[in-house]
Amino acid sequence: MIIKKEYDAIVIGAGNMGLTLGAYLQRSGMQTAVFERRHEEGSAIFTSECTAPGFMHNLHAQYMEFMDWMPIYHDFNLEKLGARCVYPHAQSGIAFSDGRPPIVIYSKEHPENFEKTYKSIAQYSKHDAQTFVDLTKKILLMEDLFAQMIYSPAVQPTPENPYADIQAREMFTQMLELPSFVNNMAPPDVYDYLFETDELKTLLNRMAVEWCAPLEREGAGLGALTIFNLYFNWRLMVGGTHTLAHGMEMAGVNEGMEVFESSEVVKILLDGKKAVGIRLKDGTEVRARKLVASNADLKATLLRMVGEENLSPLWRKRAQDFQIGPSSILASTALALHEAPDYKSARWNPDINKTFYTVVGFDTNKDILEYCMDAVYGRIPRIPGAGTWVNSLWDPTYAPPGKHSLTGWFFMPKASTHTREEWEEVRATHNDKFIRHFEKWAPNMTWDNVIDHYFYTPLDQEDEMRLMEGDFMNGAMKLHQLGPNRPFPEANQYRTEIEGLYLCGPYMHPGGGASSATGYNCFKIVAEDFGLDKCWEKTGRGY
Amino acid sequence: MEEQRYDAIVIGAGHNGMALATYLGKSGWKVLVLERRLEEGGGLCTEHYTRPGFLHNLHSNYHTFVGLCPVYEDLGLVGEPDGVKYAYPPVQMGSIFEDGTAMTIHTDMAKTHASMSRFSKKDADTFQRLYKEVKGFQDLMISTLMYAPPIDVNDITKALSTWKVEEKTEFFRARLRSMSINDFLNKHFENEKVKTMLAFHAAVCGYYTDLVGLAISFPFMLGKIDNWRLCIGGSHRLAHTLWRQMRRNNVTLRMASPVEEIIVENGRAVGVRTSDGNEFFADKLVASSLDLDQTFNKMLPTDILPQNVKSDVDAYEYQDGTLFSVHMAMHKIPTYKAAAFDPDINNAWVLNMGYECLEDFNKDWKDIRSGKVPEDPKLNVAINSMFDPTDAPEGKATGVIRVIAPYDVDGKGPGIWASNFKNAYSNRCIRKMEKYCDNFTAEDILQAKPYTPLDISEKLTNMKRGDWMVGRICEDNLMGNRPTPLMSQYKTPVEGLYLCGSTTHPHGFITFGPGYNALQVIADDFGLDKWWIEI
Repeated sequence: MIIKKEYDAIVIGAGNMGLTLGAYLQRSGMQTAVFERRHEEGSAIFTSECTAPGFMHNLHAQYMEFMDWMPIYHDFNLEKLGARCVYPHAQSGIAFSDGRPPIVIYSKEHPENFEKTYKSIAQYSKHDAQTFVDLTKKILLMEDLFAQMIYSPAVQPTPENPYADIQAREMFTQMLELPSFVNNMAPPDVYDYLFETDELKTLLNRMAVEWCAPLEREGAGLGALTIFNLYFNWRLMVGGTHTLAHGMEMAGVNEGMEVFESSEVVKILLDGKKAVGIRLKDGTEVRARKLVASNADLKATLLRMVGEENLSPLWRKRAQDFQIGPSSILASTALALHEAPDYKSARWNPDINKTFYTVVGFDTNKDILEYCMDAVYGRIPRIPGAGTWVNSLWDPTYAPPGKHSLTGWFFMPKASTHTREEWEEVRATHNDKFIRHFEKWAPNMTWDNVIDHYFYTPLDQEDEMRLMEGDFMNGAMKLHQLGPNRPFPEANQYRTEIEGLYLCGPYMHPGGGASSATGYNCFKIVAEDFGLDKCWEKTGRGY
Repeated sequence: MEEQRYDAIVIGAGHNGMALATYLGKSGWKVLVLERRLEEGGGLCTEHYTRPGFLHNLHSNYHTFVGLCPVYEDLGLVGEPDGVKYAYPPVQMGSIFEDGTAMTIHTDMAKTHASMSRFSKKDADTFQRLYKEVKGFQDLMISTLMYAPPIDVNDITKALSTWKVEEKTEFFRARLRSMSINDFLNKHFENEKVKTMLAFHAAVCGYYTDLVGLAISFPFMLGKIDNWRLCIGGSHRLAHTLWRQMRRNNVTLRMASPVEEIIVENGRAVGVRTSDGNEFFADKLVASSLDLDQTFNKMLPTDILPQNVKSDVDAYEYQDGTLFSVHMAMHKIPTYKAAAFDPDINNAWVLNMGYECLEDFNKDWKDIRSGKVPEDPKLNVAINSMFDPTDAPEGKATGVIRVIAPYDVDGKGPGIWASNFKNAYSNRCIRKMEKYCDNFTAEDILQAKPYTPLDISEKLTNMKRGDWMVGRICEDNLMGNRPTPLMSQYKTPVEGLYLCGSTTHPHGFITFGPGYNALQVIADDFGLDKWWIEI
């Protein structure tokens, strides 16, 4: 690897945020280089053949909810660069161990799907079915606004209007014709307020946590509502989530961007209070004429790469105080299967056997709440239930002919709550607990049906992806770290107190996920600072 | 909206397919590459196979054509802007023997000579002469025998005598054609351990030492015994760099797109249909980098091949053996008892632990041909972290043990490799390795995970029967005979359909030869300006 001595812009980390920023910078005429610690680009946009040859598992990013809006996907035609999607018909559902009717939520592809969703919920409650469908229809109308919120820097409070961000939140509840106090509720309260069916609440609460609306958190009410945007928006990347990362890298490469893998950045070089380059682990130094942007985690970027000694006392404290977890901590399971699960609940609606995302292992809303509280309070959850995907049902390239690959997510306590040895114990035992539990929901899910299996702990996520603590948001989605407070108020515009140093990781607004949003938003700020062409203004999409 | 029309379509994004596509793209053609898997690179495959943070090259590990193969330079795979970086271990390989001695091959010939001299001064001198003689012919051999469409072996022999080469050389004789590598070693060397070291090198390259005729390749192979390199960040980095260069030359790569059918119209290959029902058309050609079985039996309409070609395809033979690997995430880098004899052995990359004499190889070949898994595994061991610290977390190491093993076992097929036997055999390999180490036991392994012959064929369907050479290495299947005399020039009986994969000359391994040579034929057929050839 021979590295030119100088670039206009250097991006640290080739995750989806860093690649996005890199591609836009390069297109805007900045000669850009991206340096990645791992041997592959994409970070958690990651697909692994971890169980057996030919079985593909997305151990991190799995459902792609942003594809309709994601600017880079459309601006750079990532589909042509290999990132193709499938849009599963039955989007999400929950099955039950006693064979009660499942709840299945369908895609927005056909208007009659609302009817199908209605029927599924109406088996339990017509009131809930109507409420759910009405609410989703209203939310569909707000999609553009929602996209705008994600793909723009956070709304800023100003001296004239110190409550601007709070007003923005309240606008959503107003548009949904809900009282504004819903905003201040914890997600289970929101669902209790709206619905009466325990089965529906079980499904919704499980998904709320995944959408970073932690169940224990009052004030996450808006999060609990915005997930209504997702139930029917989930795409599957053909071949594996990782194709999206490939597409993003090639988008930049097309423009002339350079990418260096296996090149860990250890230091951001400063000239006084200005970022002027980076140093790699092997000692190579690379100069940045205009800027350095970091996609690496917040604490590593500020406290280590910049160095505590180079930060003001305020910034040092802010970085130290930044909270990671305890919600949105994931462990993944991967199973190579002879057959896809055949649920007892399928006798009521066979679609549950071919639902993209299926919640399994929880019979009551109480199960979900207990399970999540276990994780939040540092215990390995006693209920080994999971959200699961059998991607091979939708895309045969995920498994050898006739076979199936299942991937599932467990919520877990923070990596630091357990020792390395204890996580090894979890790795060695949790899949067995899961399979024995699963069998009660789908009788064919015995060990005889399992060709091989794999378990991926929160500590693995930290080791491999530097998703610290196993937090896929790389920073708690608590109210004091959301919107204009993410990661902390002084850094909320992607700029830092170091001139020429920008932040573009998932600890920025709007957070993590395969959205590319923090990279895109960071680009907008950089474009403003350096007078680059504001290409997004010509798109007509409003963000 | 996806483009449907291209100048050329390449099936398979292995290193050969991608290299061909990049050359064609750079020549101004519009090219589409279709790949069954999620990742590009085929055997250039690096994964966190044991644990996060531990990178394992599941297939290709040793790159021995860096600096010899023109493709690296032509396509900018090394150097600017973001090419791969290779580690070049000063102690390339070594053998550790049961009696506590060890022999090492260095990039520095004087050191190799000194190491061999401790076993036989005469053999060390012979080796040095042989090496020097090979180097004198190396450029010629590289350009004619590797990176050019193959010529007939008879023609080579004739040329050797016509040009009176034989009179000027000690080692290049027409007689090599009737000799095995064993014969060659017995003829020129006296010390069994020197012979074993050199035979080990051939075996790791996929050349079985008892096969008559393979001696013809042996001198050439020895000429690059000191050119073993390790791709920093894993072999897959080379694939990735190749892909970037492919993209920079406007080639489209479509992943997760298994080709179901090569579309033939009026006897001419005009396009392909992928398993998702898409059709793509090629105005000039379709090139398959896949094996014969997939290309001809699975993708072409039946009855399109003449009967004699079909028989050849069905009778195509694969290597007798393949590899059983144990990938290890380790707490430390092992050191060896034999370091007391030769401290350099602790710094050697590719290690023989088990082969003591030529007869040990012969016994393995015999076992493998009769479908027996060698009872006492003879190991080849590589601890990549010694040279690429990025492949393991700090203070840890990544390593691999490999054993040559059959695909079919005891006539019962490969099923045993899916059973618990793989774990038992993996433990046997680790116990064997322990015997040679002075600081390393199974306790020092965080996780060991076997990768079996069956895994190879299931992961990379191109490597049928786990054969990473994609076709037997024997006199009948080399040079102008590979894969069949009729198709040795990268053309098939179907007009517009070319072959460019490891099933063609020279063979598997990261040579880039098949892709590069197919390019020469295509360039002639379509009158391309050969910008890549220096005159």
